[in-house]
Amino acid sequence: MTVIKIPIPPESAFNKQRRVSSLLRTQLEHLQEAEFRLPARDQTNVYINAIKTEGEAAEYIGQVTGRLQAAHAMKERPKVKGKTSRVPAIAAMAEKKATRKHKRAAGKSKAKASGRRR
Amino acid sequence: MPPGLDNLKHIVVLMMENRSFDHMLGDLSKTNPNIDGINANLSNTDTAGNVVKAQPLAQFQSQLDPDPDHHFPAVDLQIFGGNKSAGRAPTMQGFIRSYFNQQQDVKHSQKIMYYFPQKKLPVLTTLAKEFAVFNRWFSSIPGPTICNRAFAHYGTSFGKVGMDLFYAKEPFKSVYDRLISANPKRTSKLYYYDQTSSTMEIVNLLQHQPELFGTYGQFLNDCERGQLPDYSFVEPNYSDHDGDNGEELASDQHPDHHVQAGELFIASVYNAIKANPDLWKSTVLLITYDEHGGIYDHVPPPPCTPDEFVASPNDTRTGMEFRFDRLGVRVPAVLVSPWIPAGTVVDRVFEHASIPSTATEFFLGDYDQRSPREKAAERFVERRDKPLDSTKNLLSLDVMRTDCPDFELG
Repeated sequence: MTVIKIPIPPESAFNKQRRVSSLLRTQLEHLQEAEFRLPARDQTNVYINAIKTEGEAAEYIGQVTGRLQAAHAMKERPKVKGKTSRVPAIAAMAEKKATRKHKRAAGKSKAKASGRRR
Repeated sequence: MPPGLDNLKHIVVLMMENRSFDHMLGDLSKTNPNIDGINANLSNTDTAGNVVKAQPLAQFQSQLDPDPDHHFPAVDLQIFGGNKSAGRAPTMQGFIRSYFNQQQDVKHSQKIMYYFPQKKLPVLTTLAKEFAVFNRWFSSIPGPTICNRAFAHYGTSFGKVGMDLFYAKEPFKSVYDRLISANPKRTSKLYYYDQTSSTMEIVNLLQHQPELFGTYGQFLNDCERGQLPDYSFVEPNYSDHDGDNGEELASDQHPDHHVQAGELFIASVYNAIKANPDLWKSTVLLITYDEHGGIYDHVPPPPCTPDEFVASPNDTRTGMEFRFDRLGVRVPAVLVSPWIPAGTVVDRVFEHASIPSTATEFFLGDYDQRSPREKAAERFVERRDKPLDSTKNLLSLDVMRTDCPDFELG
């Protein structure tokens, strides 16, 4: 039996600052389209046109993939009887609205902090 | 029934990115003249009028930058050399001209003709020599990634020839849907590299059926534990990024990602299957590429059964409509199993619709709701429920091989 040794690429091969290819750009667009179908509270609020490098693209792709998986897991979770009285539902709605505002603001500051703006 | 087919329980497909047959495997014609690779007469003329031959000068990285254009209009130029007349014939003479259009640099444009000497790609070339290599496996569309990968999942691109957002339409389900909704139920999984690389083209599936997905780590685990599904589709890592274990190097071989990283990935998939003796004897592994990535290949793509769709001149951006009645540029394809004789060369015409066609018919038998292209596509594994055509059966050995190569990574 022949054993063939396969060399590993040099360290210089890794470059997460490489500019995003048209393929990755398409992947970002597709995932954003999917993200927009999530409830607003589950969206990242990342402006994908500001994503320039593979490292940044990977970060966004990972976030959205995780959120899509989580949203589906929530949907699949069996509903517990007696947990849907009107009062908690209204309370939850109020909480949701507050969270949305907070998240929008957080989204903006995150984009700035990560240097994703032109 | 040959024992290789009798034993077969798993089909695994690994689809890499953007390399042509001649670029990756063309050098093998020196070793085996039955392989339709590079010969001394192959050339393109550059924009200065020089005849440029195919040369074994391909490098792992930094050579095909910018990424060669492989959208529909560019591929049309590569195949037809700029001829737009009725009844035109494919000449494969427009590759350098197409690459020149991106930078107007004559010398740089010649690099599109470079191919790898086989010693630089020990994994892919060894597997091609040791198992079965396909002389005529073409991408499904003369265009980019998304529409081509769609053929591997759905047997059609639903009329798309580009990178548009892709939505599946009834009645053509994905091969995964078909398998998991069958009675008796079959198992199927798409393994993307990690959450940060995710899946490339089937966001619809990720959105609606994330339970179909797993990571490459899970693939390795499933191989080790003998829990691989009936049908698996493996995606490489599409980006350089930070992972849980440090730097993750893109392994898809898409220019300008390092080609050796892809070699390691292919070897890793092969090793994972081979390391489990039960899995090894009951699995076929197909390694192929979604499309040629704008890189030179010399074989003119043939006509094919038309799909039921028409792409408009606006969609093709060539001023001509496209009826899905011819294939895209040839790509590498290798089939691995210990039941395949070493040195097998397959001359029949395959395309990516052959992938769902093979998995569907092998596991489910007759299945009507499929595209005309898929129904007409050749299968790389023969059915067990029909009389066997031994001329098409690639898992033909009576005794399983024990001389298959091993790869030591790093």
